[in-house]
Amino acid sequence: MKQRKSFGYYFLRNKNGMIGLIGVALIVILGVIAPFLVAYPEGYTADILLAPSLSHPLGTDKLGLDILAEVIWGARTSLYVSLTAVVISALIGIPAGLISGFVKGWLGEIIDACIDIFLTLPMLPLMIIMAAIMGTSINNVALVIGLFSWPQLARVTKNATLKISEMQYIEAATCLGLSKPRILFKHVLLNATGPVFVNLTLIMASAVLSEASLSFLGLGDPTTWSWGTILKRAWTSNAVISSPNPWWWWLIPSLCIVIFVVCFNMLGTAINDILNPKGRD
Amino acid sequence: MSRYILQRIGRGLLTIFVSLTLTFFIIRLMPSNPVELMIDPHMSQETQDMLMEKFGLDKSFGEQYILFLKGVVQGDLGVSFGSRANVTELIAQKLPWTLLLIGIVLLLVVIIGIPVGVLAAKRKGRLSDRIISIVVTMGISIFIPFLAFLLLYLFSFRLGVLPTAGAYTPPKGEGFSYVLDIARHAILPAVTLSVMMLANAVLYTRNSMIDVLKEDYIRTAYSKGLDKKRTLKVHALKNALIPTVTVIGLQIGVMVGGSVMTETVFSWPGIGRMIYDAVTALDYPVLQGGFLLMSVSVVLMNFLTDLVVAWLDPRIKLGGK
Repeated sequence: MKQRKSFGYYFLRNKNGMIGLIGVALIVILGVIAPFLVAYPEGYTADILLAPSLSHPLGTDKLGLDILAEVIWGARTSLYVSLTAVVISALIGIPAGLISGFVKGWLGEIIDACIDIFLTLPMLPLMIIMAAIMGTSINNVALVIGLFSWPQLARVTKNATLKISEMQYIEAATCLGLSKPRILFKHVLLNATGPVFVNLTLIMASAVLSEASLSFLGLGDPTTWSWGTILKRAWTSNAVISSPNPWWWWLIPSLCIVIFVVCFNMLGTAINDILNPKGRD
Repeated sequence: MSRYILQRIGRGLLTIFVSLTLTFFIIRLMPSNPVELMIDPHMSQETQDMLMEKFGLDKSFGEQYILFLKGVVQGDLGVSFGSRANVTELIAQKLPWTLLLIGIVLLLVVIIGIPVGVLAAKRKGRLSDRIISIVVTMGISIFIPFLAFLLLYLFSFRLGVLPTAGAYTPPKGEGFSYVLDIARHAILPAVTLSVMMLANAVLYTRNSMIDVLKEDYIRTAYSKGLDKKRTLKVHALKNALIPTVTVIGLQIGVMVGGSVMTETVFSWPGIGRMIYDAVTALDYPVLQGGFLLMSVSVVLMNFLTDLVVAWLDPRIKLGGK
């Protein structure tokens, strides 16, 4: 008989997944440890707009601050904002999805309609309005992104729940007289972990994009470094089209955003492929 | 069919109503109520009262909400805090520019996205398919300012062939040269905005085309003696397009959000740039109006894609679920 192989076995053999995981690990290390190694960039120095060199590996900006230090502290912000946003959207999205998939009747219908409506609404403009009103602090940005990232998660959870609640062991659990919340959160949710987790990594990626977008539009926290804030500063100083061109100033933070998003997407796709038996070969 | 359409219209109206209510309450329930912020305590009592009355702040919350809804139904979106201009007129002035961009994007999706997706499906596993797949993966999660910066750097700064900002070179020209000027200005923003949508269109067309080509009726078509081109075009593509159109509908909201970023970077005088300017100036009536317009257009375009899906998928037309 062919032995059943574990999740780890397939994961170690999935090239994209490993690249994604290594990238994510590097970013986490960068964000968590590096601030102890590099001083927080503030004030100004005389080294204005220096190209990358040994003393400034990624160059400096118009205030003479080191881009590498800004990017490292920015990684910290991106991680903090996206993690908080993921937690908030999980707190809303997962219960909403579970209930709308499991409970028949008006409650399920209403939640279902809400998910549909929020999926169609243009989220970024809504986030912009809310962030503009709540004021620019890093917690507000995280809260706003979390509050508007749940519909997709809810949809995924709902689809998984619909499939699982047809299974016989759920019927068995009902026959045993277990309470509905217990069945939902223990038996249904536990078996829906796969798709839910995949969607959480995707939300992580899109939360970074949203954070960068908000900061780029001037709605980020002006006292904290984030990749979007660096870009905003570069853009308002016309860095992209001024001559001589300080390309490192606008290119490096953009690349950071792209790498973060691509790594999380690759990780999510790999997990999805492994959980889905069709994608194993 | 008519039931399907009615259901969709109902859902659309509900969506617009929710977005109206959301913006109203977001703006008025926040601790730093922007409408009240506008009224400076240093103003004389008379001016304060006048402003309160003008913006309806002397009324109760519920009354304000009803008044607001009434205004919207009559096409009155209030007055801009900054320029004191009528928001409806302001939007009417900006809307054609955004519609132009979105129109170009949808055109690109039809003339480039779908054919490229079909091509990738036909050449599945070969080099061209792999290259297309990599480009698509990058395109789906693109950060719009980054793409905009790259294009600006290459085409406006390095090569110097395309303008950096705006929609035309002032003073406004006339006739053909004016149209040509706008076209030159529109290239970069349109390309920036279309990448995400194009990537999605290619991806979904490719994947569903691959599935459809395995179906029995495709083999039947071949065995009937139809040539490859006709089979692909008539039998496969129509069915393969259903997921593509659905995804385009779902992505329109994202694209409209992306237009804020795109128009901001390129100083394109549309709704997106208007929203950016309103954020900087904390001009809430304009923000509210801009968002409302975006929701309405998303709902409208969703409705259109629903109609296209119904046309493509006879099961919906014939009244199933």
